[in-house]
Amino acid sequence: MAFASIHIPDFPVQAVVRMHAHLRGRAIALVDGVPPLVKVVAANPAAFAAGIQVGMSKSQAEQFTGIEIHNRSRALEKAAHAALLDLGWSISPRIEDHAPHEIVVDLAGLEALLGSHENIANEMARRAASLNLSAHIAVAANLDVSIHAARGFAGITVIAPGKEAARLGVLPIEVLLPSEDARETLENWGIRTCTALAALPTLQLSERLGQEGVRLHEHARGAGVHSLVLAQAETFFEEEMELDEAVEDLEPLSFLLGRLLDQLCARLAARSLSASAIHLRFDLGDLFEYEAVPGVAAPHVGKATEKIYCKTLTLPVAMRDSKLLLKLMRLQLQSDPPPGSIVKIALATDPARQRFAQTGLFVPSSPDPEKLELVLARIAKLVGEPNVGSAEVVDTHRPGAFRMIHFASPANDRSSRALRRSHGVVQPEAESQQYRPTTAFRVFRPALQVRVELRYGSPARVFFRGLRGYVMSASGPWRTSGDWWREDAWRQDEWDLDIRFDPTHTPQPTAFAAPAQKSNAAIAPTGLYCFCFDSVSQTWFVRGMYD
Amino acid sequence: MYIELHARSAFSFLEGSALPEHLVDAAHSHQMGAMALLDRDGVYGAPRFHLAADKIGMKAHIGAEITSPEGWRFPLLVASRTGYQNLCRLVTQMKLRAAKEKGHITPAEAAEKSEGLICLTGGEEGPLAHALRRGGIERGIEAVRELCEVFGRDNIYVELQRHLSRAEETRNQAAVEIARKLKLPLLATNGVNYATEEQREVLDVFTCLRHHRTLATAGRLLARNSERHLKTPAEMDRLFADLPEAIANTEQLSSRLKFILSDLGYQFPRYPVPDGGTEATFLRKLTMQGMVRRYGAHNQRAYEQLERELTLIVKLKLEGYFLIVWDMVRFCNEHNILVQGRGSAANSAVCYALGITAVDPVGMDLLFERFLSQERGEMPDIDLDLPSGDQRERAIQYVYERYGKLGAAMTANVITYRGRSAAREIGKALSFDPETLGRLTSLVNAWEYKDAKDTLDRHFRDAGLDMHHSQIRKFFELCLKFQDLPRHLGQHSGGMVVCQGMLDSVVPLEPATMPGRVVVQWDKEDCADMGLVKIDLLGLGMMAVLEESLQIIRDDYGENIDLGKLPPDDKTIYDTLQKADTVGMFQIESRAQMSCLPRLKPKKFYDIVVQVAIIRPGPIVGKMVNPYLKRRQGREPVVSLHPSLEPILARTLGVPLFQEQLLRIAMVAAGFSGGEAEDLRRAFGFKHSEKRMKEVELKLRAGMDRNGIVGDAQEKIIQSITSFALYGFPESHAASFALLAYASAYFKCHYLPAFTAAMLNNQPMGFYQPATLVKDAQRHGLRVTPIDVTCSNWLCKLEPRDPDFSVRLGLRYVKGLRAETGECIVNERSRGAFTSIDDLKLRVPSIRKQELRALAEVGALNFIAGRNGFHRRDALWQVERAARNAGPLLETIEEGEFTTHAAAELPLDGELSRASTAKSPLQRMSDEERLVADFHGTGLTVGLHPMGYHREELRRAGARTARELQSMPDGVRVRVAGAIICRQRPGTAKGFVFLSMEDETGIANAILTPDLFDEYDITFIHKPFLLIEGTLQNQDGVVSVKVERVEALSLTRAETTSHDFH
Repeated sequence: MAFASIHIPDFPVQAVVRMHAHLRGRAIALVDGVPPLVKVVAANPAAFAAGIQVGMSKSQAEQFTGIEIHNRSRALEKAAHAALLDLGWSISPRIEDHAPHEIVVDLAGLEALLGSHENIANEMARRAASLNLSAHIAVAANLDVSIHAARGFAGITVIAPGKEAARLGVLPIEVLLPSEDARETLENWGIRTCTALAALPTLQLSERLGQEGVRLHEHARGAGVHSLVLAQAETFFEEEMELDEAVEDLEPLSFLLGRLLDQLCARLAARSLSASAIHLRFDLGDLFEYEAVPGVAAPHVGKATEKIYCKTLTLPVAMRDSKLLLKLMRLQLQSDPPPGSIVKIALATDPARQRFAQTGLFVPSSPDPEKLELVLARIAKLVGEPNVGSAEVVDTHRPGAFRMIHFASPANDRSSRALRRSHGVVQPEAESQQYRPTTAFRVFRPALQVRVELRYGSPARVFFRGLRGYVMSASGPWRTSGDWWREDAWRQDEWDLDIRFDPTHTPQPTAFAAPAQKSNAAIAPTGLYCFCFDSVSQTWFVRGMYD
Repeated sequence: MYIELHARSAFSFLEGSALPEHLVDAAHSHQMGAMALLDRDGVYGAPRFHLAADKIGMKAHIGAEITSPEGWRFPLLVASRTGYQNLCRLVTQMKLRAAKEKGHITPAEAAEKSEGLICLTGGEEGPLAHALRRGGIERGIEAVRELCEVFGRDNIYVELQRHLSRAEETRNQAAVEIARKLKLPLLATNGVNYATEEQREVLDVFTCLRHHRTLATAGRLLARNSERHLKTPAEMDRLFADLPEAIANTEQLSSRLKFILSDLGYQFPRYPVPDGGTEATFLRKLTMQGMVRRYGAHNQRAYEQLERELTLIVKLKLEGYFLIVWDMVRFCNEHNILVQGRGSAANSAVCYALGITAVDPVGMDLLFERFLSQERGEMPDIDLDLPSGDQRERAIQYVYERYGKLGAAMTANVITYRGRSAAREIGKALSFDPETLGRLTSLVNAWEYKDAKDTLDRHFRDAGLDMHHSQIRKFFELCLKFQDLPRHLGQHSGGMVVCQGMLDSVVPLEPATMPGRVVVQWDKEDCADMGLVKIDLLGLGMMAVLEESLQIIRDDYGENIDLGKLPPDDKTIYDTLQKADTVGMFQIESRAQMSCLPRLKPKKFYDIVVQVAIIRPGPIVGKMVNPYLKRRQGREPVVSLHPSLEPILARTLGVPLFQEQLLRIAMVAAGFSGGEAEDLRRAFGFKHSEKRMKEVELKLRAGMDRNGIVGDAQEKIIQSITSFALYGFPESHAASFALLAYASAYFKCHYLPAFTAAMLNNQPMGFYQPATLVKDAQRHGLRVTPIDVTCSNWLCKLEPRDPDFSVRLGLRYVKGLRAETGECIVNERSRGAFTSIDDLKLRVPSIRKQELRALAEVGALNFIAGRNGFHRRDALWQVERAARNAGPLLETIEEGEFTTHAAAELPLDGELSRASTAKSPLQRMSDEERLVADFHGTGLTVGLHPMGYHREELRRAGARTARELQSMPDGVRVRVAGAIICRQRPGTAKGFVFLSMEDETGIANAILTPDLFDEYDITFIHKPFLLIEGTLQNQDGVVSVKVERVEALSLTRAETTSHDFH
């Protein structure tokens, strides 16, 4: 029995380097965080040697010459981890997924196929290199020994049976991953290597460090007993297809997407899972990389060399109906088509448990979520993604402020309301309940731009929907201002105006009158309106009218 | 004309964002003749508001918003002194009975103390708005009627505020209706929360802090708009054009508010005089008795001075004050509490005769007017230095006992937002993550010297913050706006005010955080400005050291030393001072003092007075240090600024060094009276104004012109006075400090063990870290022994050793060991020695695992099982077992095996004991490991200095020791290495940086140019061990290295510390 452990040192850095081959051999620091508060989170030995430290700000790191600074990419780490698993599975079906940067491969029976343990380890290293990964590989009869040796020794290490304690002895105890408390105790004792730890009497150690002491002691002696925990194959489902000829039109693309989705859904069905999101990635024959998230305008900027188009279809409920998924994807692509010809397609899913058929005995009937989602996607295609959903009032003094949130199933809706409450959304003041005017108010969305003439600081005449109106009485200004710490600070004065329109006035073709021509007939001769003056843009609007 | 009668300042703590004086300035610029300040539950800002208004001839109305049980607030205006006293009592009542921020006053309590108070119906937090919210107009009418019952119909005004809000206007309409119905007057106010519109941003951030939100999540808790600034009368007229009577009533109400803060009615307590005499006769009697004691019966000069002072004291009605201070000093003396008056009180012969001060102002010819003058009309300021700690607390509690809980209180200390605190709070509001904030605030460094590049902007960039980012820019702007705004009220370190009768009718009182303390709502300066007599009871670390030294000498040496009778001309002391061997000595131990001592070469007490005063910004900025030292060394002729000033400057060789000298110069050269001269000093002092300085300067020049002092001489005199007034040190103060310096030198020279133990027991204090104090004492031959649970007490103590004593380090130096655990160990040990670590754990059950580890790590458990006990690792091995609770069943199992004999070996009383004395399988610590453990666990080592372990390799690198440098000639190129114990960049040194480096032979000094510092700043600031190379400067026994090259050394991982940035 033998095991091989594969350990990828500086994993976050290697994950980035794997996708950017030109970075190989360079000093690299990875940064992470929300701009402008971006910090160094990982670096390779060359960067550390140059003086980089984890926790430095990006601008501090930039002061070092010869350091390549890149953003940490969890996606690339995930991909590198998947690649590492692929590497393992390419050798043996029996692997343990120990950590994102560590796997263990059971070598039982492989000698007949690949030769000696050294040969197997060399083959692993070769395959790792082909995946652009530099790995530490250790082979030992004991699984834990192989893990610790891979952590501690660079390159390939093969430990003969019976030599475990001797080989591990020189390694620092950190390779055994002791708890912070145990590490502190061992440091106090001057125990820094596995040899020193192994030399301590077991029973007395257990009296002091408990079961952890026993575990560490066993590991230090190379005597750990740990069975292989087989990795569950493929919790991340991905399918990809390289095209012989670039595709530009939606119809042939739909055919190809349908095939991929059928396969994905079949795999999901076999595992009793569904997809909560579909990640679509096209390699383009030309143009740029950008990532599009539904609801957010896709910036057409990026690295010209990558030529990748990504799109994520987030699903409100987990589903695996390939035909429905294809329809949704087609609608997405119609509203936001890829900017160039496609040479490679990759589809990946976020697997999730199947949706419950019934959310509650007394839950009123509602549209089938899948169908609702399809309808919403069709509407979004017509009116634009940001304009679909249910409006939610925002806790701010900014007049008329709201945001659109995605429709959710009743169960989700309840939880989101509870969540909003727990986040401390302030309820309207009791005072305003008591004294709020009871008149109904029709809001014009968007607010209409108008022209207003002032007299002694108050509106006197308004030019609105092609008509001229006289202000019979005015109440205001009611002033709000806020968000002064943001770029979009506002300051508005509202006026409640009683307006009498002049029926004899001939509309002038003005910029704001033109679109409203058709509705002139609906305007009453008098009315109570809410006008507002935006001090930032120096513009008058009419916000709506009181019934 | 509109008058603003409802304004909050930043003293409403997080509910207002303008300083009171800024509100006054704004009101003045709007040409308002008066204004009212109503802060939340207090009159914290009233003195500053009153003084600012008084200065420009504006009337400052006082009031407060008082919280009710339901949370709304009574807006109260003070109409008369009775009203003010009632307000103060109401606030005191609510504060003293409730937790911080929780107090309230019921309408019934308000009714009891309503006389002289006028109540408004308030804005959105007022009683009317509250009632309208709860029950509409009916409830509103009811609420206003209740107010009328509490305060009387004539004292209620229905308040209207217009901040351009629909909801508020709806409320206003209801208020007008109620006022009409009840026939009450309307009153327009703007419910001011800040002076200018821009200050709304600060208020929004305050709101976030108050509600523990960020700006992004605060939503409608933030202000709706920026309308709560102080508006001009014209703006208010426009706003209330439909209700002109509401505007007119502001002027009418203002005229009803007769009270101003200068009409406080404060009286200093009368001292109970025995035998039916008066305070004046009793003071005279005590003074004359003291005179005989101090000067003898026939000292005419002293008698005349005392007569002069007594006459003035009686004239100013200050006899009671002197008697009360005397009474406190008497209490301290009777209870063996070391006490010494200092500051300008040392200029008074009466204080000297009464035993309040120890400096003879007659013998030293000190200027009495510096202390007290008729012209100034101010209360005198007597500071009493007491030993910091429990003894000082006893003195404070005596004052409370003597004058009652409502008759005495500590002065407050207004904590304001400074760089770091402001940055932290604003960063939180702007949702910055804690790590970035921590980095940013740590970068707001405390260098005294700020070069052109040392700007806030640079700190921001250093912290990795992009100044082009809008949020960062806003952060930066807010940081500037936050500076100096009050944050919360603390307790002043020692200022106390006392009052005849009830202090709570003069200023509201609050409970202090410290139990048994009451604090007034005003800070020390405000109390002084309002004429409240204040006595400073200051804790001084060195007083505690002296007191403890006296105690140790009494206990261990069996000698009683009287500080007042120390030999005045002790040769050992002056020899030591001349060699600058002054580590640990009060006021003369700093690097700058040490570099001056060998040149000044003190030979008598007055030289120490000069020494204390000369290394100060005044003489340094005024370029007086070098001329004085050169004249002292005979390298420069002694020439006075003007022949007429020779007698004044003779003692300081023609160079003005003390504040008293500049006062006398003004008196002699320009004919100023003593009081005028003191006014001059104040005009140039900290709170100077350009206008006042100019006026005084003109007066000074005119006087000198009259006396024929013109041209260069006049310019030089003006220059001396201006540079000294701000930074100069009073001679009396220097003399008081010099006494302590001399006493500390005496103890260090003659009772080094006692002095060292006392110094170590009173840390943190002084200029050096305990590690340096220990090394210095060891170099002077003292044996310092390590911490040992078998014999160490909580504090350091002496142990007899032939021929002198050694110092045993106390358990207090074990980092992480709680005082109660330490005391428990000592108590248990007194019942019987510990037999093992298990025994210690069993007998001190509260001891924690980390504490046991800490003790073992520093070797404190090595001898627990006898003199041939463990090494530290043995102890660490045992500790891990002892700290694990094995449970009674396994108590007797020893070292992993069941011992059948264990039960037989149990003590007869049946107590279970795990007497584990076995050695461990662990290796003994290496020298390096011991060193690391010592510094990590105690911050010091009693073993070899870290540099000593590497001397051979340092020699190979050409490095000299600190001692060797002393004997090397000036100008040679040298290398020296050491642990950095002090980094300084003084404001007066133009960017030069001074380093003190310690090795096993002593301390070496190094000087860095600003350019070199810029080049190597990270190395200098962060590296604990340096090898420097440069030119040796060895002049007049002052040795330092002018650094040209620097290299960081990696000698040890020991965490040495340094005293930086002073």
